[in-house]
Amino acid sequence: MRNWTHFAIFGLAALSCLSPAEDRVELDREVGRAERGGVSFEVLDGLATVRSLSDAALVLWGSAPGFELRVTSAEARDYELEVQNCLPDAELRPLAGRVEVTALGPSETPTRQRWQLRLPAGEARVGLAAPDAADRAPFRFALLSDVQEAIVDVADVFDKINEQPELRFLLGAGDLTQRGTREQLERFQSELLRLKVPYFTTLGNHELGTNPDLFHEYFGRGSFHFRFHDVAFTLLDDASASLDPTAYDWLDGWLADAAGDVHVVAMHIPPIDPIGVRNGSWASRNEAAKLLARLAQGRVDLTLYGHVHSYYSFDNAGIPAFISGGGGAIPERFDRIGRHFMLFTASPIDGITSQRVIKVD
Amino acid sequence: MRSRFLLGFALLLNSRLTRAEPESSPGPDSKSRALPVAAALLPGAIAHGAGHLALGETATAKNLLLMESLGLGLFLSGGATIVLTGASRYLVAPAATVTMAGFGLFSTSYLADIYGTLSRDGGAALSRYRAPARWETELGYRRVQDPEFAYRDFLVQRVSRQIGAFRLTPSGWFSFRGDTARYRLETQYRLAGDVTSPRPRDASFVDLTLGFVHQRHRPEHFSKSSAELSVDARYDLGRLGPTLRGAFVELGAGYALGRIDYDLRGLTVPHDLEHLLLGRIGFGVILRGQSAPGSEALVYYDHRHDDYAAGLKLTGIGSGVVGHFGSSLRWFFSESIGVAVDAQVGSAYLGGASLLFRSQARAGSGR
Repeated sequence: MRNWTHFAIFGLAALSCLSPAEDRVELDREVGRAERGGVSFEVLDGLATVRSLSDAALVLWGSAPGFELRVTSAEARDYELEVQNCLPDAELRPLAGRVEVTALGPSETPTRQRWQLRLPAGEARVGLAAPDAADRAPFRFALLSDVQEAIVDVADVFDKINEQPELRFLLGAGDLTQRGTREQLERFQSELLRLKVPYFTTLGNHELGTNPDLFHEYFGRGSFHFRFHDVAFTLLDDASASLDPTAYDWLDGWLADAAGDVHVVAMHIPPIDPIGVRNGSWASRNEAAKLLARLAQGRVDLTLYGHVHSYYSFDNAGIPAFISGGGGAIPERFDRIGRHFMLFTASPIDGITSQRVIKVD
Repeated sequence: MRSRFLLGFALLLNSRLTRAEPESSPGPDSKSRALPVAAALLPGAIAHGAGHLALGETATAKNLLLMESLGLGLFLSGGATIVLTGASRYLVAPAATVTMAGFGLFSTSYLADIYGTLSRDGGAALSRYRAPARWETELGYRRVQDPEFAYRDFLVQRVSRQIGAFRLTPSGWFSFRGDTARYRLETQYRLAGDVTSPRPRDASFVDLTLGFVHQRHRPEHFSKSSAELSVDARYDLGRLGPTLRGAFVELGAGYALGRIDYDLRGLTVPHDLEHLLLGRIGFGVILRGQSAPGSEALVYYDHRHDDYAAGLKLTGIGSGVVGHFGSSLRWFFSESIGVAVDAQVGSAYLGGASLLFRSQARAGSGR
């Protein structure tokens, strides 16, 4: 009997992992860094990932409306910089060092732009931002999650999103793909060429299906924080139905950074599923309450989730919350929702002033 | 639910057939066990009961195969309902319950086949059945390894009082650091099963459980209170065949409604409600040998997500949905004194041991 008990204990221990997101946190730390031929690049706060780097060209995928790029070169040289997934009106400006920036003309794809950089020897910094990035005027953003196997029809959704006037960017709460394979991530990025606004997204549990590392290669960090029009946005990687302890440390810093400001927090899995018997929520209900207490203490204004393929409006810890998983993955039946996305108006002064569900079909 | 009744009916029919067999038939103990054990492990992983077939226990083998088939059917039908309806809010609770029951029958029929081919003294288990003690107390230690919480060491206390068909069990887990505690008050009513004879002949029972839980997490600024109602059953596998005497299956299902209160200085935060589907599957054996009656070992799956072990965190797609797994051992050295050892794997690793003290098994009224 003793052998049986040992077998059972070891078998159970092999089933689980207490920190499944630990490796992804380490990947988060490395996003936006690259070095080649005596030139090193670093995107501050990892707000863009390096898609390719050669001796003469750097291609970045943006995770935020704006970011800073620090370049250190042993000698003066020219580099072509392409930023994919950026705001159509984004501008690149020198911030430090004697770097020269020349725009290389309009791109056929509104969310891709190119510049020629003349780098000095030593360190230089450039910044990407929309001309109105620091304005305090209201602006509109959308939320789309859970496309998964419906990638074949996602063009319908993107066309509907393109119809929305004055939309600045689209937020994603994960599950872009069915299994997170390289082919599926490539396909998603190629479909995004249709979209007139950038898509800033975290990952969902379906991105962990094959190789959890690939998402970072294509889309950058899973947990990150940015500001637009003085509204703070935090996206969290809870694809393993939990937050890694390091991500809590980052969150504390981001909550402090946004203290007193309008703050939107998005992640894939809702900590508490309004239909609790479904368990479309975190693995530990206690950890869910821990996170919500922290968000309430940080006076977060809005929480956005995906994962459940429907639409729910509710409050958690007194914070307005929306689940919007309408990207097309197997829908929740009998809910009369179907494919949809959400549209929000945010103001740094008045908060979230409107939210609307836009049905696609 | 209808399927579960059908399953119960089918197993009952089979159990009666099995019990009608002459008990004087040659016991399996006289046969070589190597082939049946190997058959139970390997082909038995696909066709549960293969070990008993090799043992010559055809009726038991059929029962186990039936149990596996029903389990697989329930598991697939429940799982398909969840997937195809996108986990519809209207269907997910019954579908998940059916899925869990199916998993329980499927997995325990495999374990039962292995047990039956290994066990040589199943008949001895009959003398080890014991009615619930009138009083039982537990005092122990648990270690919880959870990267999300600072607590680690717990004092565990429990008192259980059996009065007729009722059992009242208050219990508490107290962190050494004082940062968290979990209190539980459980009342159970035995709907079916023997609580009157000191030496019951069958381990089966059906209990109705009403529970109340309160837990506080001071450093994380929240506390939770919940009420739950569940039906918890144990089925003596000896009903399926003589080789399975001393083994049992546990199945439980229920619902809990909880309230989360936030305690944030300077802020008034509305409470949240949480709903929980409860489910429990277990496979256990009555211990013989040196142990006193009432000793048993159990491996189980618990669908709870609100306790210290909570749900499994996995590296792939399925993280969050599944509850935790565990194993427990109750070993009594004498009629009064024993130990309990417990290990669980979920969002946290949990393990520890307790001292158990119990009074005589109740006889008659229990007064």
